[in-house]
Amino acid sequence: MADQFKYREDREAYSAARVRALEALLIKKGIITDRSVDTVLDYFETKMGPFNGAKIVARAWVDHAFKERLVADTPAAIAELALPEGMAGAEGEHMRAVANAPGVHNLIICTLCSCYPWPVLGLPPYWYKDPTFRSRAAREPRAVLKEFGLAVPESTEVKVWDSSAQIRWFVVPERPEGTEGLSEAELEALVTPEAMMGVAGAA
Amino acid sequence: MKLQHYLGGLEGLGPVSTETRVFVEPWEKRIFGIHTAMMALSSQLPLPVTPSTFSTVWTWADLRKGAESLNPFDYFRFRYYEKWLGGICGYFIAHGYITAEELDALTEDYYAEPGKALPSAGEEAIDARIVQYLVDGDSPKREAAVSHAFAVGEEIVVCDVPTIEHTRLPGYLRNKTGTVETVYEGAYTYLCDTGPDGIGAAMSVYCVRFDPATIWPGNAEPNFAIYADLYAHYVAARASARQAA
Repeated sequence: MADQFKYREDREAYSAARVRALEALLIKKGIITDRSVDTVLDYFETKMGPFNGAKIVARAWVDHAFKERLVADTPAAIAELALPEGMAGAEGEHMRAVANAPGVHNLIICTLCSCYPWPVLGLPPYWYKDPTFRSRAAREPRAVLKEFGLAVPESTEVKVWDSSAQIRWFVVPERPEGTEGLSEAELEALVTPEAMMGVAGAA
Repeated sequence: MKLQHYLGGLEGLGPVSTETRVFVEPWEKRIFGIHTAMMALSSQLPLPVTPSTFSTVWTWADLRKGAESLNPFDYFRFRYYEKWLGGICGYFIAHGYITAEELDALTEDYYAEPGKALPSAGEEAIDARIVQYLVDGDSPKREAAVSHAFAVGEEIVVCDVPTIEHTRLPGYLRNKTGTVETVYEGAYTYLCDTGPDGIGAAMSVYCVRFDPATIWPGNAEPNFAIYADLYAHYVAARASARQAA
């Protein structure tokens, strides 16, 4: 039984060598090319990522009618903006946005795996994939949010959305106070992936 | 039943991770890229044929089956991308693309010489298809006429379907009563047929609201609601919940 919980001493070096061996074999056997992995990674650096979500949220903050359309028909509202192509692409085919408001706080989770809206948020951070987070957020979201440094009073209703089918979710956080004079570009800088999943506010 | 299907609500786990990085080791990026390339080159997609020798199906369902099939102790022991690495290596070996022996031998080579270059090869059309997959996606939505069994506001009971290999039904919701919050337009397929678990073919999907106090009586925080997107096969009218066969 004790062996069950042991790791190799060279855990990371071994995994690094194994993934490199796998990539080398896949290239050699004509499954992928020597550029395939970098092609994927470049795409997430430049086309799909939280920089898109930040633009969507900033627009929702300055344009209330857009925010209403975003919540009512998320893909159609996103299509109004000048974002890279593919906003309804892989892992964003069917997205749904929920908006925080006074008295309502939303939190997105995936208890079965790590479903995440790629086009607007990129790839999920480790906290989202953590089995402890996935377990506890379903039953005690306020205690979990407190560990992220976000205090949500009992008077605020928390809505937890478990991504168990093919819909991908994100949160429109509330616009921070004192940001009336900021431009849309300046507002984008206030929006983090954590705020768009509901474990932080925008600040 | 697998513990991996029942994570929601487990107790006694200690603090959550607040790690905001996507990758914590450089090698994790490579296995993510390989997985995504495989999804893009998977044979069921309506995308241009390329010179790639990849000729089988690989979707999220295959990756998830690997993680769900693990001994639960291994599931919790291995980090996220360690599970991916194990599952993807196993798939290529099981389908005869590579052998365990050549993978082990080459692993030793790269272990001894981490800076050794990768081979140079491959046609541009393969990578063009990868980008096209990312742009187009793989929508599970079907426009076929469906009559939805439930309407917004109706109460449903979650079924206790037999789950063998893979499910999209969070275990903590089995046999619980909820209220339909959204009836999604159209019908949704799943990436594979999950057998007796019952999803795969196009069917309605509902967003259902649950009161946590009914899921974890006396042990849930106050003033919150939990919502889940559930395939129609997983929900039944209150009086006639299907039971496990």
